[in-house]
Amino acid sequence: MDLSRYAALFQTESREHLGACSQLLLDWERDPRATEPVVGIFRAMHTFKGMAAAMGYGNLTELAHRAENLLDVLRSDPGAATHELHDLLFAIVDALEAGVGEAIAGNDAQLDFKGLLADLDNAAVATQPTGSWAISAKGPEPVVGQAGRAVRVTIRPAAQMRGARALIALRKAETLGKVGSVRPAPAAFEQEDFDGRFAFRLDTGESDEAVRQAILAAGDVDAVELGEESAAQPRAGAAPGAGDAAQRTRQIRVDLRRLDALMNQVGELVVAKGRLAELVARDASPELQAVGSRIARVVAEMQTEIIQARMTPVWQVFDRFPRVVRDLSRQLGKRVAFEVEGEEIELDRALLDELGEPLLHLLRNAVDHGIESPADRKKHKKPAEASIRLTASRERTNVAIRVEDDGQGIDRAKVLKKAKAEGVVEGNTTELSDDLLLKILTRPGFTTAATVTDVSGRGMGMDAVVSRVRALGGSVQVESEKGKGTAFILRLPTTLAILRALLARVGDERYAVPLTSVAETMEFNAAQTTAVQGRETLLLRDEVIPTVHLRERLGVGPRRTDGRRPTIILDVGGRRSALVVDALVGQQEIVVESFDGPKGMLPIFSGATILGDGAPVLILDPAALV
Amino acid sequence: MSHTVLVCDDAIFMRTMISDILTTAGFEVIGEAETGREAVDRYKELKPDLVTMDIVMPDMGGIEAVREICKVDPDAKVLMCSAMGQQALVVEAVQAGAKDFVVKPFQPSRVLEAVQRILG
Repeated sequence: MDLSRYAALFQTESREHLGACSQLLLDWERDPRATEPVVGIFRAMHTFKGMAAAMGYGNLTELAHRAENLLDVLRSDPGAATHELHDLLFAIVDALEAGVGEAIAGNDAQLDFKGLLADLDNAAVATQPTGSWAISAKGPEPVVGQAGRAVRVTIRPAAQMRGARALIALRKAETLGKVGSVRPAPAAFEQEDFDGRFAFRLDTGESDEAVRQAILAAGDVDAVELGEESAAQPRAGAAPGAGDAAQRTRQIRVDLRRLDALMNQVGELVVAKGRLAELVARDASPELQAVGSRIARVVAEMQTEIIQARMTPVWQVFDRFPRVVRDLSRQLGKRVAFEVEGEEIELDRALLDELGEPLLHLLRNAVDHGIESPADRKKHKKPAEASIRLTASRERTNVAIRVEDDGQGIDRAKVLKKAKAEGVVEGNTTELSDDLLLKILTRPGFTTAATVTDVSGRGMGMDAVVSRVRALGGSVQVESEKGKGTAFILRLPTTLAILRALLARVGDERYAVPLTSVAETMEFNAAQTTAVQGRETLLLRDEVIPTVHLRERLGVGPRRTDGRRPTIILDVGGRRSALVVDALVGQQEIVVESFDGPKGMLPIFSGATILGDGAPVLILDPAALV
Repeated sequence: MSHTVLVCDDAIFMRTMISDILTTAGFEVIGEAETGREAVDRYKELKPDLVTMDIVMPDMGGIEAVREICKVDPDAKVLMCSAMGQQALVVEAVQAGAKDFVVKPFQPSRVLEAVQRILG
């Protein structure tokens, strides 16, 4: 059988299961006596083992199997696990994650887990409870009584119809004596996804070896483990409920590239639809018009569906963060409570993939530089355990992701002094607003040369964070208060590829402004303006809004202040500006094309698109204009 | 002396294939049946060492036939032949008294392994 076909599936599923292990390990660490996490890890590890075995990856299987044995023992006494043991399990999950990639690349045989396996052996000895059957596989058979033996059977993962095979094994056992307490209940054997592991009690006068041989004779039996009956071994994890199975059949896995391809095609269709609408509007028979509008409707529905299909809950990216924060805070000797909220909020998969790194940056910075040392916190009468919160929430058509710490905050006076010294801000600036602070923090190289230690880390890669988020059509905001903490807020559109835009004309060219950032449109009248701190601003319902003359900004020509000019009020996270243009052309759906501007290009564009009439148009980045 | 076999399947193709596999391995196919009822009748008549039994057959299915055969002979050695995805039916057949099963499409080695297990 050609297993390479299954490699991709194996990889994704492994990632899920091992990711679940990491998450559950964290839960376990927080609540060492809870049974659910260890049962969950056991199950995930077991499933992973089964898959690795089916792929023929011997080394991965071996490590997972041995970890599973240890977990099996710990299931009955989760509190027995030490810190070192948790660390070992974390290390094993990491090794398996790395190993998956290697194995798929054909290097399973080269994987070397000797160190971890030795650690596992030591741990197994240390945690061995009396009469545990899981350990029996490793050493000589424990001496057990003849009656009431616990028998645990594993059907080969690759076997066909493991449930039916399990039943045959049970029948074989029945020929030797009385069988009872079968777990999971034999009804589970009828489920297609029965995992092939079951246990029962056997009262028999036969020797262990005879029992083993009898059960092995059922065929396709991987392992028979015998031990003394131990009371109340929870087997909750052994058999997935029928509900799971029913739910699973409603979903299928699709390669992300398929969805991307589909999305691109729909994008093309949207452009063609726009062009068709234009032609139909010009001169078309009623029939053609009817067909045209029908096509337009169907395309719009397709677009909604494909966008929905690509929506992914943010936990898929957030899930690895608790581990990162834990590791880093331990390493730095800090105590941090990490909270995640809004994990169910959905974003386009492509966007989400791009967000992982920037968020990681922000979290690392929060732990490393935002949170004070325990001693400092004590000195400032703050709780010893610091708090970092990662929150996703919906804001109109956008999604806001907030990374917040209760650390020392940014010392604005220091930053201002430094910025002045470097000539980044004018010498007479007395106050550093949040916006200005962000501008300074994201200047490449600004903070790397800084001696202000409390912000040094924040600058590391902050420019990369901001440019990545902007490239995705989003914006970044910072809020910081000295002594209280810092928050970074990323605002993103929920989907990347297709957005509604307002088209505006300046000179001979049209430009697209994402509608998500348009608060309203109005007419600009020079009479309504006043100068605030030397800047022209527009007075709108008691609100003072700075103006941006796009003509001037683009270098097309001098600003025009005569008569009335169409103006777009931009709003990005509460920050506003009035964008003065030559004319408003209309609203349209545009398909965002990936965009690498030439060097020296004005930093006010986030992408490009092709309109229905075939003309290329640049998309303005509202965040760069407010 | 070679073991005797009764092959039950409503498809000639499958009967031929199973017969070929078993004959090549030295078994003696002494009879065939196309329906469950026929299988029961032939079993009583021929008393074969082994029966291969399709699950889905007209006029009494394979599972019912196993039940009937085991009533006559509790030690009857029946090998179920199942298609993929019929695990629940196979489980039922084993509960009815079938000793082992193979899953179509057949690999000769798997069929023979199962037969060896049954005949011990």
